[in-house]
Amino acid sequence: MEKILEVRDLRVYYDLPQGVVKAVDGVSFDLYRGEILGVAGESGSGKSTLALAIAGLLRPPARVVSGRIMFMGRDLLSMGEDELRKIRGKEISLVFQDPVTYLNPVYTAGFQVAEVFEAHRGGSPFRYLGEVVRLFRMVKIADPERRVNAYPHQLSGGMKQRVLISIAIAERPRLVVADEPTSALDVTIQAEIVELLNEIRKETGSSIIFITHDLALLLEIADRVMIMYAGKVAEIGRSDEIARDPMHPYTKALLSSLKYERKKRLQTIPGSIPSLINPPPGCRFHPRCPYAIDICSRVEPPLYMTKGRSVSCFLYGGEYGGDSKS
Amino acid sequence: MERREILKRIYETRRKRLWEMWEVFKSNKAAYASLYIAGFMVFIASFGPLIAPYNPNDFDLSMARSPPSLQHPFGTDELGRDILSRILIGARYTIGISVASVALGALIGVIMGLVSGYLGGLWDSVIQRIVDVMLAFPTILLAIALVASLGQGVTSLIVAIAISTFPVYARLVRGVVLQIIGEDYIAAEKLLGKGSLYIMFKHVLPNAVSAIVVQATYYMGLSILLASALGFLGLGVPPPTPEWGAMIGSGRTYLFSSPHIVVFPGFFILVSALSFNLLGDGLRDALDPKSRAMLRRG
Amino acid sequence: MSLARFVGVRIAQAVPTLFGATLVMFILIRVLPGDPARLIAGPEALEEDVRRVREQLGLDKPIYVQFGDYMLSILRGDLGVSIKYRTPVINEILARLPYTIALALAAEAIAIAVAIPLGIISALKPRSRLSYAVSVISLVGASTPIFWIGLIFIYIFAVSLRVLPSSGAETPRHIILPAVTLALLLVGNLTRITRASVMDTLGSNHVLTAISKGLAQRIILRRHVLRNAMIPIVTIMGIQMGALLGGAVITETVFAWPGIGSLLVDSLFYRDYPLAQGIILFIVLVFIVINIVIDVLYAYIDPRVRETLWRGGRS
Repeated sequence: MEKILEVRDLRVYYDLPQGVVKAVDGVSFDLYRGEILGVAGESGSGKSTLALAIAGLLRPPARVVSGRIMFMGRDLLSMGEDELRKIRGKEISLVFQDPVTYLNPVYTAGFQVAEVFEAHRGGSPFRYLGEVVRLFRMVKIADPERRVNAYPHQLSGGMKQRVLISIAIAERPRLVVADEPTSALDVTIQAEIVELLNEIRKETGSSIIFITHDLALLLEIADRVMIMYAGKVAEIGRSDEIARDPMHPYTKALLSSLKYERKKRLQTIPGSIPSLINPPPGCRFHPRCPYAIDICSRVEPPLYMTKGRSVSCFLYGGEYGGDSKS
Repeated sequence: MERREILKRIYETRRKRLWEMWEVFKSNKAAYASLYIAGFMVFIASFGPLIAPYNPNDFDLSMARSPPSLQHPFGTDELGRDILSRILIGARYTIGISVASVALGALIGVIMGLVSGYLGGLWDSVIQRIVDVMLAFPTILLAIALVASLGQGVTSLIVAIAISTFPVYARLVRGVVLQIIGEDYIAAEKLLGKGSLYIMFKHVLPNAVSAIVVQATYYMGLSILLASALGFLGLGVPPPTPEWGAMIGSGRTYLFSSPHIVVFPGFFILVSALSFNLLGDGLRDALDPKSRAMLRRG
Repeated sequence: MSLARFVGVRIAQAVPTLFGATLVMFILIRVLPGDPARLIAGPEALEEDVRRVREQLGLDKPIYVQFGDYMLSILRGDLGVSIKYRTPVINEILARLPYTIALALAAEAIAIAVAIPLGIISALKPRSRLSYAVSVISLVGASTPIFWIGLIFIYIFAVSLRVLPSSGAETPRHIILPAVTLALLLVGNLTRITRASVMDTLGSNHVLTAISKGLAQRIILRRHVLRNAMIPIVTIMGIQMGALLGGAVITETVFAWPGIGSLLVDSLFYRDYPLAQGIILFIVLVFIVINIVIDVLYAYIDPRVRETLWRGGRS
């Protein structure tokens, strides 16, 4: 399968008055053509920062400290602003979490979608309104001709989210990064949106990085899943395999809490998320890990590859079998 | 036994919060300095007559309009009166009138706001209408109209400025009231049989206090400018009162030959207004819970 | 709702306020010490002359009838007759109104030309020295008494440097000093508000969306930052109009600018109360109309506002 994205040892830190927050601290993974990669983790795991980094949308006080993001063979992090601009919206696009604040209230929905065409094809956005109507139909917005001239506040939450999706798929990008696209919506609409993204993937062949805190949702729609914890990757693998046989202790804990209730609440795991300014030494999860051994508190585990899975846990490496991958 | 423990803890938290506010305020150097400057102005307003080297009304036409000298550090005005002394005494008028009108305006405004928000219904509509009408007048114009009809003198000036400025407090307090009366603990208090006055003083006012204080401080600056403007226009205090604005108004004719008559009083007006405005900024930051949180984390 | 309906509703809302303002003016006049009939008749008049004047003015009728007549005459455009000039007040106002309008427009133009660019630049570079200087200047500007700085300007430019005229309105150059002085009143606040608004908008999420589309920086700045940032600024400009009108009164007095502001101050000095109250009422009316215009403008540029009209008038 064709590899679209290759992220190697990405580190993104925030310079805040309280200290340096290591939001993403050594994340590596691959993304293949046409697949849905789910990224799961709770708030503070670094997933949103990862999304912004891939799309080239990081703003100060965030900065990329090290690492590579190879998109179609080119390193995004070494590109200038002009090059990045050509990629944004056309090759890589973003679907944001909260449709209310991510749409400009002063312009019509159609205009804001047409801006994507303006950015990459030139001319006035009004020229492209016909195409926007088609897009709206594709994302199943009812009565698209009228909706094109509607202002965001006149649309429902689900419709606004579809508008955001239209913006993201307008130029048929190879990669769509969806950052919690359903978190602000009702459960029923959530299912529709997820189904929509799946269809789009099938029709256009785009790859989707689907970020959410809802692991259950990911296990249903994603091909592969990446679990993040405290800025690091805990586990990556095929979603059906992870569901059947979770390896990383954190993944196991997440899945077990799923069995009792469908909400992703981490009160079921004792302890709390570590500080990202002063993370604990060694494996970040070790203070809460029931399987922790001595080495876990001293050395950071590398990403071990075993049985088609990548796990960052000493239980699966070294003397326990499997090769180290980093 | 328990009750005392709880009360002690409440006082401790309150004291800690006050200390935090003070620290945030101090960190704003400009505001901190302005506290002293504003205090200085109030000081000379209170003790002016004791410090002034000359009697402000003693005129000596032979010395008229002389520039600053050792004898008269700020020079003399068109009637030979010592300007420094007149400024020191004038502080009582300019600053004093401002303080009084801010206090009065705040009092009227807060009461209106409480009544309007708490009693609602007809009271609310009527008071809101009054506030709207008041706000339809540009502040200076309203003050001018009021002074013109109430006649000259310190009292009418105070009343005029107070009436011109109370609407903002009324709106502010009303907003706080409306915000608070929806809360559950208010319903609880009412069930316990607590009267409206009790609720107003114990729950509504404490929440509104910081906003009122900040607004009042800004209005001090505005009142100083307003009072002196009215003095300049010849409305307000009758001559020969050394109100700063009036001094500029009467000294204006001699601007070409003796600008010092105009420069010094105006400078004092500027510094006073500036210090209260800076104070207002400092207070606003200090009273804002977000700034205190930053302090705690930093 | 449509823009037209919005305008209609807004005007309807303003009517009670207008009514109230007239009532306030009427009450204030009645509070005045002295007998207006005697004032008008003059100090030498006999008793029967005064009585005749009183009848003429309708001052012997019951108070509510007087108020009714007052309201009716205002609706007709009759604001009374000036004691000093013996001509209708409205004529005096209209004769000098153009000067005040010219001054106000000039001052507003200067303020906008200076404050908005400064505000935008200091928002885009928040920690620069320019930004700091801007804060300081706006704070000082807001604390300066206009009458004093006007006089200082006269001294510097008219007396010492002799480059600009000090008073009156004969030549176009005469408007420079008064307009700049009046503009000072507005610049400080306007700069601060512009900076706050732009900074606020820069951080908003829809700007992130705009960037993610791959739009050019210039377009994003113009369409998604400035356009949105201007909305609260327009409201503030409307509110500032009140200060502008009030400040014009003082500025015109300092510079002997022949507008309605200096006319007002003169009329008070001469105890020409019909003229004074007529001018004040006129200015209030203008202010109310300006506010309606600002609200309509606001509704035009921010579509969300048109729906929120019922939640209590002005936002």
